[in-house]
Amino acid sequence: MVSNQRESKISAHHNYLVNDALTPGFALGNPGSKDGFYFLADVVLPGESTPRVSARLYDHEGEFLVELVWNRIKANPGHTRFQSLPNGFRLLYPSGEAILSVQTERFTNGYLSRIQGKLYDEKGGLRMEPSLESVTVYGKASLTLESPFEFSA
Amino acid sequence: MKKADHNKSYHGVWVFGDYRHYFQNRVTLQLIAKGRELAQTLETSITALVLGDHVNQYAMEYVAHGADKIMIVDHPALKDYRVETYTKVIAELIERYKPEIFLGGATAFGRELFPRIAKRVKTGLSADCVALEIDPETGNLVQTTPAWGGELLADVVTPLHRPQMATVHPGTFRELPHDASAVGRVIYPDITVEADGRVQLLRSKTQPKGKVNLEDAQIVISGGRGMGSKDQFDLLFELADLLDGEVGATRPAIRAEWTDEERLLGQTGKIVKPKLLITVGASGALQYTVGVQGAEVIVAINRDPHAPIFNMADLGLVGDGRAVVAQLIDELRKRV
Amino acid sequence: MNIAVCIKQVPDTHTIRIDEKRMTIVREGGDNVINALDCVALEAALDLKARRGGSITVLTMGPPQSEEALREALGYGADTAILLSDPAFAGADTLATSHVLARAISRLEPFPDLILCGKQTSDSDTGHVGPQIAEELDLPQVCGVDEIHLEENALVVKRLSDGLVETFRLSLPALLTVSNALCAPRRPSFGDLEAAFSMGSVRTWRLDDLGLNPDEVGASGSATWVVKLRSAPPKARGEIVSGPTQDLVDRLIKKLEALSVIDEESRSQ
Repeated sequence: MVSNQRESKISAHHNYLVNDALTPGFALGNPGSKDGFYFLADVVLPGESTPRVSARLYDHEGEFLVELVWNRIKANPGHTRFQSLPNGFRLLYPSGEAILSVQTERFTNGYLSRIQGKLYDEKGGLRMEPSLESVTVYGKASLTLESPFEFSA
Repeated sequence: MKKADHNKSYHGVWVFGDYRHYFQNRVTLQLIAKGRELAQTLETSITALVLGDHVNQYAMEYVAHGADKIMIVDHPALKDYRVETYTKVIAELIERYKPEIFLGGATAFGRELFPRIAKRVKTGLSADCVALEIDPETGNLVQTTPAWGGELLADVVTPLHRPQMATVHPGTFRELPHDASAVGRVIYPDITVEADGRVQLLRSKTQPKGKVNLEDAQIVISGGRGMGSKDQFDLLFELADLLDGEVGATRPAIRAEWTDEERLLGQTGKIVKPKLLITVGASGALQYTVGVQGAEVIVAINRDPHAPIFNMADLGLVGDGRAVVAQLIDELRKRV
Repeated sequence: MNIAVCIKQVPDTHTIRIDEKRMTIVREGGDNVINALDCVALEAALDLKARRGGSITVLTMGPPQSEEALREALGYGADTAILLSDPAFAGADTLATSHVLARAISRLEPFPDLILCGKQTSDSDTGHVGPQIAEELDLPQVCGVDEIHLEENALVVKRLSDGLVETFRLSLPALLTVSNALCAPRRPSFGDLEAAFSMGSVRTWRLDDLGLNPDEVGASGSATWVVKLRSAPPKARGEIVSGPTQDLVDRLIKKLEALSVIDEESRSQ
């Protein structure tokens, strides 16, 4: 009915900020893909306080960089460095340049996670880049997940 | 349900998100709960409108407390509550989205913002409502407001204009409990926000002297002329401390300079709706009682058995209020 | 500095009586007074006039007897008084009332630098008229002001709002509503009032004088209608206890325990 607006979902417990909008969870590409780009900021359930990020990232030339599963490095051909932060974590290129950061702000009754990153897919295409306080995403995406993603075994 | 033709294009129940002093000021949450009920009757949704700078926390709280949708306008010019700036944004949103009902808490800000919005969109507004219901025949919102200083209740309707706007006294409705599993829709309207250059907020400070918040107090102890002197009036502060309550006063006590104007209860002072009011040494003049008659339980202490205050008390004690309060304090101290 | 003050004549609450059988207010025979907060507004206007010169126009919308209120204001020192009175104005809600007052103010020559109103009235108590006049005249507003300082072409005002002490600078023209913390209104001396009653400066403006149509004013120009007026359910008179202080204290303690305000004393004591 009305143009001139953006719409998303909002969770009472935990949200990410993406495309300058709140969302309970979002995914780029095909999460769980074994040989292609994906990025998953998974839904955080009441009782949990940290976001779970899984991703398969490539550099700007389409070379496989790193695979993260639930905030942990699983494969790291690009020799990226993982750095814990007081309220999240950062992933860096060997040169020290930032790939991705995830930081969570705590409110009295809820949480807000800000993701910043410049991410590329297996074709070297730009899929995410920082914007002011959030990120802008491109390409195939599910921007409003409402329940935790089910990975097939 | 029948509706006038003009009104058919208006849908939805909106609540203004007044989030200053969020944890003491629960009125928005109370209105979301009541708004949800009204929306269900009208088979529509309840939206909380949140304006400000970095308001994500409040948006999430409103979803947790029952809002189906949140409409967010997040902009630096909205950081401070300012009537002219807020009126312009909200009036434009009303014209675009056409809510049929728009509710706001009767906080000081709500009471000066809502009339301006109502005038701008040329609709009706009732103030300080104590009840809200949908008329099953017309679908109109029946707004019950105190009239004649609270002696009478007026049922008011806005049959031909939309939205139907009302401010509601804090404490009138009960909020829904926080539900961390709630998920709602969030809308970010594309709208220009400009501060009104004719008004500058130079300074904003929290009220000094341990914030007097009578309107939200659950227990109020109030004193009138019968307390006799400032020293004896001060006993009420001791009692309030022991019972975790707040102290109020009548106009004569304020005039005698036994306490500050900000503690005045009544027509030209504050309206309170505590669970318990203990009123000491006040005869019950109309200008005072309109401020306190909303209390759930009223205990009155006065040495005059014919004082009108006893007509509205659940428990009346005929005697010297100062002596009763002094002895009560002693006995309560012994128990601690 | 030219100031317009909006006042309202209201029943004097000190003389209001309650008809206990019908649970209504008895209006007949009571006195009418200028709404208390409007007296504060007028006093503030007189103070500003004393400091800056200029003139004060008082306006009221009401039945013909409201002229008394205007004359009282003239007695205190207002320069011009305008009575807005017409049968068509009756039954107005604040939308219609503010329309009449705003239209009248817009016809003042010159347009006032400042408009003052009481924050609310003792009878209808909504506090809406001031902000609605400001909106119609497209003026900035600050409500509940308790301090006013004059600058060259602006005002600096202070007020208490939701637990915050806020200080604003407003350019003129502007509208302010005043709280009773601003200043104490003066009490009339007989000399003032007698002088006022002999002055002829109360003008009456009707519907046509304001260039308004009947459907813009009064009940026709209102958006809200009262469909029912009923007495508030009276609080049932409860238990009355007399006796020595100890008895009263005991009874009160029992009540506090019953309400769970204090814990019950353990019986083993």
